[in-house]
Amino acid sequence: MQGTCPRHEHVSRRSLLKGTLATASGASVLNWGGLFQSQAIAEAAKRKKKHCILLWLNGGCSQFETFDMKIGRSTGGMFRDISTNLPGARVCELMPAISQRMDKLTVIRSMRTSQIDHPGGIYLMHTGYARAANVRFPEMGAIIAKYCGSPEADLPDFVKISSQGNAGAGFLGPRYQPFSLGRDGNLPPFSTSQLTPEKESRRHSLRDFIEEQFARTHKADPARMHREAYDRARRLQNVRHVFDTDDEWAKYGDKYGNTKFGRRCMIARRLVEEGVSFVEVGQSGYDTHGDNFTGHKSLVPTMDRAWSALLDDLEERGLLQDTLVVWMGEIGRTPRINNRSGRDHYVRSWSTALAGGGVKGGLVYGESDQDGIDVKDNPVTEGDFFGTIYKALGVDPETENYSGVRPVPLAPFGHKVVTDILA
Amino acid sequence: MEINEPTHVWQLSFDGDWPTSVAFLGNGRKIAAGNRQGQIYVWNLPETPPAEDADGEGKEKTKSETPPDFAPIRRLDGHTNGVTGLIATADGKTLISASLDRTVRLWDVEAKPTSTEEVVLDTKRREIAARRKSKEEKEKIIGAPGVQVEVVKSSHRLEGHGEWVKALGLSADGHRLISGDDACWTVVWDLATRKEICRWHGYDRVWVSSAALSPDGKTAFTAEFAGSRSSFDRPAAQAKLWNADDGTMKLDLLKVWTPKVKDKDRIDSYGYAQTWGKLMKRGLVCAAFSPDGKLLAVGQGGETDTGKVHLIDTKTGEIVRTVSGHRYGACDVKFSADGKYILSSGRDTTVRICQVDDGKEVAALGKARGGQFKDWMHGIAISPDQKWVAAADIAGIVHLWQLSPDSTDEAAG
Amino acid sequence: MRELRWIVVFVCCVLGGVVAPATGAEPLRDVIDAQVTAGWKSNGVTSVEPSTDAEFLRRVYLDLLGIVPTYDEAVAFLNDTAPDKRSKLIDRLLEHPRYAVHQADVWDMVYFGRNPPGYGTDKREGFQNWLAEQFRSNRPHNVWAGQILRAEGNTVEQGPPMFFVQYSRRPEDAIEAVTQKFLGVQLQCARCHDHPFEGWTQLDFYGMAAYYSRLQVVNVGKKNKLTAYAIGELNRGEVLFTGSVSEQELGKKGTPVKPKLLGGEPFTEPELPEGFKEPRNFPSGKVPPAPKTSRKNALADWVTAADNPYFAKAAANRIWAQFMGKGIVQPVDNLADANPPSHPELLKQLTASLVEHKFDLKQFIREILNSNSYQLSSRGPVTDAMPLWYERARYRPLSAEELLESWMTVGGYNDALKVSGKEPEGRFRPRGITWDYVRRFFGRPNDGVGNFQGGLHEHLYLNNGQVHQLISKQTGSLYDTVAKSDQPWGKRVERMFLQILTRRPTVTETEKFVAHLSPADDPQGRLHEAIWTLMTCSEFRFNH
Repeated sequence: MQGTCPRHEHVSRRSLLKGTLATASGASVLNWGGLFQSQAIAEAAKRKKKHCILLWLNGGCSQFETFDMKIGRSTGGMFRDISTNLPGARVCELMPAISQRMDKLTVIRSMRTSQIDHPGGIYLMHTGYARAANVRFPEMGAIIAKYCGSPEADLPDFVKISSQGNAGAGFLGPRYQPFSLGRDGNLPPFSTSQLTPEKESRRHSLRDFIEEQFARTHKADPARMHREAYDRARRLQNVRHVFDTDDEWAKYGDKYGNTKFGRRCMIARRLVEEGVSFVEVGQSGYDTHGDNFTGHKSLVPTMDRAWSALLDDLEERGLLQDTLVVWMGEIGRTPRINNRSGRDHYVRSWSTALAGGGVKGGLVYGESDQDGIDVKDNPVTEGDFFGTIYKALGVDPETENYSGVRPVPLAPFGHKVVTDILA
Repeated sequence: MEINEPTHVWQLSFDGDWPTSVAFLGNGRKIAAGNRQGQIYVWNLPETPPAEDADGEGKEKTKSETPPDFAPIRRLDGHTNGVTGLIATADGKTLISASLDRTVRLWDVEAKPTSTEEVVLDTKRREIAARRKSKEEKEKIIGAPGVQVEVVKSSHRLEGHGEWVKALGLSADGHRLISGDDACWTVVWDLATRKEICRWHGYDRVWVSSAALSPDGKTAFTAEFAGSRSSFDRPAAQAKLWNADDGTMKLDLLKVWTPKVKDKDRIDSYGYAQTWGKLMKRGLVCAAFSPDGKLLAVGQGGETDTGKVHLIDTKTGEIVRTVSGHRYGACDVKFSADGKYILSSGRDTTVRICQVDDGKEVAALGKARGGQFKDWMHGIAISPDQKWVAAADIAGIVHLWQLSPDSTDEAAG
Repeated sequence: MRELRWIVVFVCCVLGGVVAPATGAEPLRDVIDAQVTAGWKSNGVTSVEPSTDAEFLRRVYLDLLGIVPTYDEAVAFLNDTAPDKRSKLIDRLLEHPRYAVHQADVWDMVYFGRNPPGYGTDKREGFQNWLAEQFRSNRPHNVWAGQILRAEGNTVEQGPPMFFVQYSRRPEDAIEAVTQKFLGVQLQCARCHDHPFEGWTQLDFYGMAAYYSRLQVVNVGKKNKLTAYAIGELNRGEVLFTGSVSEQELGKKGTPVKPKLLGGEPFTEPELPEGFKEPRNFPSGKVPPAPKTSRKNALADWVTAADNPYFAKAAANRIWAQFMGKGIVQPVDNLADANPPSHPELLKQLTASLVEHKFDLKQFIREILNSNSYQLSSRGPVTDAMPLWYERARYRPLSAEELLESWMTVGGYNDALKVSGKEPEGRFRPRGITWDYVRRFFGRPNDGVGNFQGGLHEHLYLNNGQVHQLISKQTGSLYDTVAKSDQPWGKRVERMFLQILTRRPTVTETEKFVAHLSPADDPQGRLHEAIWTLMTCSEFRFNH
């Protein structure tokens, strides 16, 4: 599966069984004639798979209020630090739960990236690349969906729960577009069909026919996106129950901290359990140009509790060794505190963290100087970071895909995988 | 209180991370100021500032003159994290401070010092003066001696808070103290015995953003705010009046202000947040009862477009009038002793004085100096004789203004 | 060097010189075709064939009126044999009452977007009606653009001031928006530090922001039951500059920055008279008095001057993009050195023509629409939504407004309403549809740079949602007409295709649909489905 375009991209086994049309170029038009898939296929999909959960801290979480404390320095700020279950490592007092799970984490304190504004940073830290005029780079989720996903499954391979980033599937094609859930993790309105399956099927065959006719002469991407999204929306019917998490929440709400972000994390665990290969969960509000300390005080404890519960939950279910949990925002925050009691954007030295399958755990990698102004050693660029993530998930980061005629590796050319943190 | 062309009489250097609060100690010109590092300094200012020029041009100050600086006399050591509020008893003998180090401390203002130390309080000014100078001149300026201060290390710690204490209040009769923390606990103390009278708790992860006691100490006000909406079952803002004797709630002000909202809708929802957000902005961060106890002033905190001050009828809870207004948010609020004026400081580098009766602004002390976002005037204090106003300016300055010219000041300065 | 060039331009403008006029008397449409063809040649690109009548018909209706043609209009055009029917149709549609409504929709999105900032900006019928009037009377674009920037009157009775209501007390945001939307210049990087590549300094940014440092949004009372706002301008007030964001310090004194045009001279203002007093804030309820010297108007005049090279170029590029899909400079609000035009000579000619015809938009649009380049087919192997060399017609999704109003047309909802004698409930309020949902799911279909994303939410709405309500069964609706017709099924299918997709079905399509519709079981469901299919398929969803 690595390094080559998987066979299922060209001819799906299922479509062979159903007798799909293949267009002149050889790519198949996904033709899900029926709504139900066999149990065996679903089970096979869940087994032996790698998953990734991305905890996206939108706005730019401050490294000085989480992992890179500068106590006693003018850049230190108002919080104090606490000891952890990793000797020598200290974290912000706002993260008591994570402090006791540092043996599971690999914290990178020497991130040094290139895009300092929100749109640029969000694009960069979702795709690994800076925005370019003629290439539409895919997000990490689309890449993982492609290389670790199950094309047979009715559940989408790339789910976003209340998160940012609109690079989408880029040149990988509409098949890997994210499916977005709302802030409460619920399916969007109108998720339930009013029709009986026979009528739905009958209607579908007519609809499918007209799309195929149109596709014979009209090749533009938007039409293809539209068609494939329609198909995926149909398949959702079969797995609606997965998104109904009220009972689950009643059981695990306390564990995750009784917050909305906690609920989204729990849903991420559930989706991973059901076989989804990539789930992105967002928490927003970290862009604290003003009132940075009260701002982080209102967000970090929530995140701390939910993140810890997620790690515990995955481990208890035996999922953690096959799931990589990525923790990051788009930028870091300035060492200097401004006159709004805030911190502005900063990308010269900031922090991210990884946990779970593929990485060592119990490691704090890289260091910033005493005031947090610059990286002291082991800088990690966005390319390095993405390359390492792909490697941890068993995907070769130098695999190339094509954008038009141009080959594009998964992680930017010149990246260096941080092998020191890989398991 | 008389206000007649206030003049800016002192500008005291207090470098080192954000002065946050000031208090006058007694009837003289002794003031205390605390900053975000936890340092508290005491100044004993002369009644009239030193003469600028020997010739003496009279009491007229040219607008471009910077008011003079003065050195503090002592430092109160004890807090290990920022000071969030300072209050002094009327007799000026006890200073009370609240802090991010989760304690409230009582200081004996007259205590014997344990040592003296040399401190530099104007580092910023030195750095600016040293710019573009030669290396030797730089060293001379920056290495110049500081001031000698007495250091007082002892204070009484009030234990009872497990989180940042950001709300502090004293009843006008000086008997009771109120303090609120970020774990949503509010405590009412008897100042003389230093014991808790009662305490009450709000919701987890909600912060007490301000607290005040009525002049007779029997009624308390607290406001709560949580920064972000992330929970399902609790609202992110409250404003309540309590019985300070036993901690029972007297009046839920948010219910009074939003009578049309059903109780079941008072949850942590976007819709409800829009409703209380209009009234409370980013939390009611400062509160003060009027001297006759009939009104309560609360200030809308930032960052918000404009932070105003609500004047609330303490019996009915209705908002009688909304006055003042600081771009980006208010910070502190105080009544004049005659109850005629309300003074507020905010994130626009001003202290505004408004009439309580009609809300008209009669004076604005200070002037915005920065770019799009301005430095804050944080804590304010009014001298017991109502003649002076002090304000902590986050740019490392303690300002003092004289509200009206001295009636006896005849001679040239 | 940049400074020098600007000064030269400025001086030339002052001396009355204008931008070079269009070459000769060649019609713009021919210039367009020549340039686009040259582009194909030099890039080795093969263009597709011209559009069929059906393709052209639907496309031009959507582009000019924002709605698909009715069955009668479609049949009339397709059966017309006149050789100049296309250019006649363009002329007719430019005079159609819906032209003004649709263009106002388009430009309203330019100035406000889906989620405008500011209090009260989401209800702006005053502005939208005013904008429609500008198109109805074909007022020169630079004149009405200038009116937006002058912001005279109030938001309810006049309309233009609503633009600045978005940026109340934020001159920095206001100038960013104005330079982006009116000049295609992106200054926002220069807000925090000197621009890394374009050569704008932070002081340039603040010099421009200074023009808006005295504006206040004033509530001037209720008009027609709506709160009206006016834009007042004080006589005092400056932006304070404190250096780059990375060098911010407490206590830093900001220096007031005087207004200065990009690369131009500082703005001179006469001194205020002695003892001049004005309130800090304009009192509400009263129309604010005009200032002695208006910086805002000075900037308005400069932006929309006929010889402001950015303005004309940005407008020409934007309108070109509106009809051709992709701007010659893309994105259209980023005319920067680092973002060169794909067809520089063409852009120059378009700009010159727009200026020469004094910003007559109908004339400009007419020329574009009559070009062969515009009238290419949308069939072809190229997969780009908006081909770089315009070698195939572009695809773009119908806007939420276009979708809803087109659905109401094709389902015959409007016809049924007419037959029943009822009045429409409002532009976006057919019974059973929540406009809010339509706007939410279809309002922002593209990613940040204009690529169609197409989420699942659209389809959930289409598959399971309210579209069914628009397939009216009342007398006069399409459903009713087809169900009650005694024509053979083949003819009825043709009617459906013409009414919904604006074309005749192919033989294969007719066969399939007849097979679907003729069985005796569940004829209502089958007919309903068939209409639904045509209304929700890709062919309908896009303007191609």
